[in-house]
Amino acid sequence: MNPALAFLRSDSGKRLGACLGLGVALALMTGATGRQDDYLYAIKEDLFTFHLIENLLIGVVVWLLFTFWPVIRRYLTRPGALGLLAGAMTVIVAQTVLGWYEPEDAKFSGLATLVGDTNGISALSSAFFGWLAWAQLIAVIVVGAAALVLRNRALFWVGAAMAVAAAIIASQAHKKVDELAGVVDHATGVTVAVWGYLTIAVALAIAAISTDDVARTREFVNAVLGWRPGFALGAAATALALYSLGVSSWFAPKSLNATLADVHSLFKGTSLAPIAVQYFIWLSWALVIVAGALVLVAAYFRSIILGIVGAAAAAVGLVITMISIHAITSLAANSENTYATKGPWQNLGDGAWWTCASFLALAAAGLVVAQSALKGRSATAADAAHDPSAGPRFLYAPGATLAVLGAAAAAAIFIPPTLEPSWQTALVTSIGIYMFLAIGLNVVVGWAGLLDLGFIAFYAIGAYTTAYLVGSLPVKPPFELPVLWAIPFAIAVCLIAGVILGFPTLRLRGDYLAIVTLGFGEIVRLVAVNSNGITNGPRGTEDQVPHPVINLGFVKFTFGLDQLPYWYLLLAVMVIVIIFFRRLENSRTGRAWAAIREDEVAAQAAGINPVKYKLLAFAIGASTSGIAGVLFATNVGFFNPDNFKFEFSILVLAYVVFGGMGSLPGAIAGAAVLTWLPEFLRDQVPSEDRQMYIGAVLVIMMIFRPAGLIPAKRRATELRGHGPDSAESQAVPAGGGLGGSYA
Amino acid sequence: MTDLTKGPGSPEPLPAVDGAPAASHMLDVDDIEVRYGAIRALKGVSFHVDQGEIVALLGANGAGKTTTQKTVSGMMRPSLGSITYEGQRIDGIPAHSLINLGICHVPEGRHVFPRMTVDENLEMGAFRFKRQDMDVRAHVLDLFPRLQERIKQQAGTLSGGEQQMLAIGRALMGKPRLLLLDEPSMGLAPLIVAQIFDIIRQVNADGVTVLLVEQNAAQALALANRGYVLETGEIVMSGAGKDLLADDRIRAAYLGEEIAAS
Ligand SMILES: Nc1ncnc2c1ncn2[C@@H]1O[C@H](COP(=O)(O)OP(=O)(O)O)[C@@H](O)[C@H]1O
Ligand SMILES: [Mg+2]
Repeated sequence: MNPALAFLRSDSGKRLGACLGLGVALALMTGATGRQDDYLYAIKEDLFTFHLIENLLIGVVVWLLFTFWPVIRRYLTRPGALGLLAGAMTVIVAQTVLGWYEPEDAKFSGLATLVGDTNGISALSSAFFGWLAWAQLIAVIVVGAAALVLRNRALFWVGAAMAVAAAIIASQAHKKVDELAGVVDHATGVTVAVWGYLTIAVALAIAAISTDDVARTREFVNAVLGWRPGFALGAAATALALYSLGVSSWFAPKSLNATLADVHSLFKGTSLAPIAVQYFIWLSWALVIVAGALVLVAAYFRSIILGIVGAAAAAVGLVITMISIHAITSLAANSENTYATKGPWQNLGDGAWWTCASFLALAAAGLVVAQSALKGRSATAADAAHDPSAGPRFLYAPGATLAVLGAAAAAAIFIPPTLEPSWQTALVTSIGIYMFLAIGLNVVVGWAGLLDLGFIAFYAIGAYTTAYLVGSLPVKPPFELPVLWAIPFAIAVCLIAGVILGFPTLRLRGDYLAIVTLGFGEIVRLVAVNSNGITNGPRGTEDQVPHPVINLGFVKFTFGLDQLPYWYLLLAVMVIVIIFFRRLENSRTGRAWAAIREDEVAAQAAGINPVKYKLLAFAIGASTSGIAGVLFATNVGFFNPDNFKFEFSILVLAYVVFGGMGSLPGAIAGAAVLTWLPEFLRDQVPSEDRQMYIGAVLVIMMIFRPAGLIPAKRRATELRGHGPDSAESQAVPAGGGLGGSYA
Repeated sequence: MTDLTKGPGSPEPLPAVDGAPAASHMLDVDDIEVRYGAIRALKGVSFHVDQGEIVALLGANGAGKTTTQKTVSGMMRPSLGSITYEGQRIDGIPAHSLINLGICHVPEGRHVFPRMTVDENLEMGAFRFKRQDMDVRAHVLDLFPRLQERIKQQAGTLSGGEQQMLAIGRALMGKPRLLLLDEPSMGLAPLIVAQIFDIIRQVNADGVTVLLVEQNAAQALALANRGYVLETGEIVMSGAGKDLLADDRIRAAYLGEEIAAS
């Protein structure tokens, strides 16, 4: 037979065919968009251009990877290999997908064209955007790969140094362009590329030091984080604070970008409060250094007292920082100066907020030191860190919960002010609100095991209840309430709605229940669409739902269009909700739900009333939607039934599954990541393609981490997929329901 | 030894209902009919259980044994007839409430909570109490040393026999006075079956009354004080365990193998 034909018939040949087919598909996916008048336009464009060849090459590379996988795999387990791969992928993604130049909305290639067309660009920049960017990436990969294959220590160091150099070149080249254009550029591309290179550098440096044949990444991470509890967080916070003090922008009205030192000269001779003056000269540095040193020393010696003192110092630092930045912004707000700001807390640069976040994280680190030292009196933390059977154990190390909470609090409080207004809007109206919904649905689906596909209905009910109570619907309430007073009522109405949905569905399980809940969701929406007299139909609320006003007598705050206050309101409510649900999970009720989910017959035999607890699950699950509905209604002012379409129910379910069914932190994280992703992609990919990327993320996640981002304890053990238990546990009937079929 | 019979949640017995037989029996099932839609699974079944007894319900597949037990335990309600427990009408009271009267049911087919540990399973058994009674727990683990060894293991990963032991142990955590066991020997190796029957005897010796459903007639009747034989929803025979075991009809119908073997 013809050898070419024989090759095509072989497995390898078939695989090559498949890969080339995928290349064509990829070309069509990422290619030109269609036209109204010529539907084949896009396909013709994609297939008869260079674009196709690029994608066919990708296909060939994938085929090579497949074919030589056993060999590649051996090298992949070596120390440094995964870091090199991840870093290289990061840089590639940065240079293909991400935005590099905000004013023109340009990606890397777009900016490269711009640079090529511009005169007077520095040699470094024109080289970088001309050819150096890709050349240096290839050089780093080649050297790194060679070091891996040859296991040559010197070569590892060379690769690491090259990666650092590449990072510096990239950031400098980009900075020069921005400086020439004189613009403020928030594009993420160059930052991500720099992080990619730094990842490579760290990985290669570790590989150079390591004496292992096989990388022990997990043990390494455990050892680093478990070495001295609180040390890693403390060190990271101190580093961020020092960076912010030294380099970052502190005050940025108009086109100004003043660093800490600039602020000092800018406000020289004004009536700035003395403490703030001192702060911008030396106090800030002293505070960071003292608090950081105290915490790190405390962590090293596991000293309870030093830890608490360090935390106190950090707290003082936080307070003084906030006093100082408040002082400059309110002074600027009252001045006639060109750099006047809109009001206190406005126009601050990233550095100011990052410093606040660092101080908070540092305080948390101090407390972590104290807490783990207290606990560690009985069992040393070193034992915990070196437990060989440990998986990703650092999350269970002493003080880890507090450390994660501290870091999360620091980020949640102080990062949002540094975000663009559009991101702040996304943070409140999608990320925050959907976190509430995911927490609620997690009760129904994750804890009680009842599949609910109409969950968004409760959100609608919450929002419409609010609109009714404040008098924004055609039907008027007997007396109008201030909008925040609607929260208890909305919760109550949602509780009742939960019971109403629960009753007819009690006998149903799994698929049948899902269909009925789906119907419920649609009925609620259709009622909203069709009851013109009550809900104003598809046009939505008649009058604006007012923004909240908080009046505590001594302070009065009126919410407006600025999204940041809503975020803090939401955060405060969220903290209460999380504490409540955390307690609920470990309560008698939580255990009853777990029992019903696992085996309803056995639960009944153990004296659990399934009717009562299922209704309770529907009701309590629905209650968070009431809160979300109020916050949403008052934030947007006007809404209509389209805000509560079926697809949102599915999305909330996806968040819960993605985060880890039955896991409260998982539900929150899942909602955060999956609502963040489309907002992020909005700037990166054509809008029609966004769903495709999100789908891909979901699929990849379910392949590699089926128990979700932060799995619930039970499901994690069940899905770990090794050990003596796994095979047998799957053979056990899970009692039907979702618990069985999804897990 | 812990007394398993005294549950704090058990109320005083109520006075006998009109028409009910004198409350001399602990459990009195009077002429109950149970239907699955149009199918009459039980066609007037009557029997009684006295305090401290082990009573066996025998019968072929589909005779209605499980249905009878589910009706007693409150998972199903009879369409006719009455069930009286300690002088109180209990038919129609749901299972999760009956447990407060001291009736614990170990359903057919080893229903354990597969993703909870043995420990958590036992704790769920004491759900009706605010907190589990550690003495009872120690006693249960005494009865089932195997569970003690696997206390942190997930129940779904236990062997069939261990799961059955766990299911019985969990029911004991509810401090039953009347324990309903539905085919505890189903699908288990003979050695394990012997162990389980041994434990049933011990539990009974501690003062727990047992209503045992079995297909394994020889062993069940050897254990039981009295037995009833069900056939297509009706009781066709009853008597002391030993008498039934000696009865030719029983030997022919249910112990065919053993006659051949002996
Ligand atoms: N859920 C059900 N629906 C309809 N018929 C049932 C159901 N469960 C049991 N039956 C019928 O009731 C009769 C008694 O069943 P069961 O009590 O389970 O018998 P046993 O436990 O003695 O084997 C059988 O004929 C069976 O087919
Ligand atoms: Mg049966």
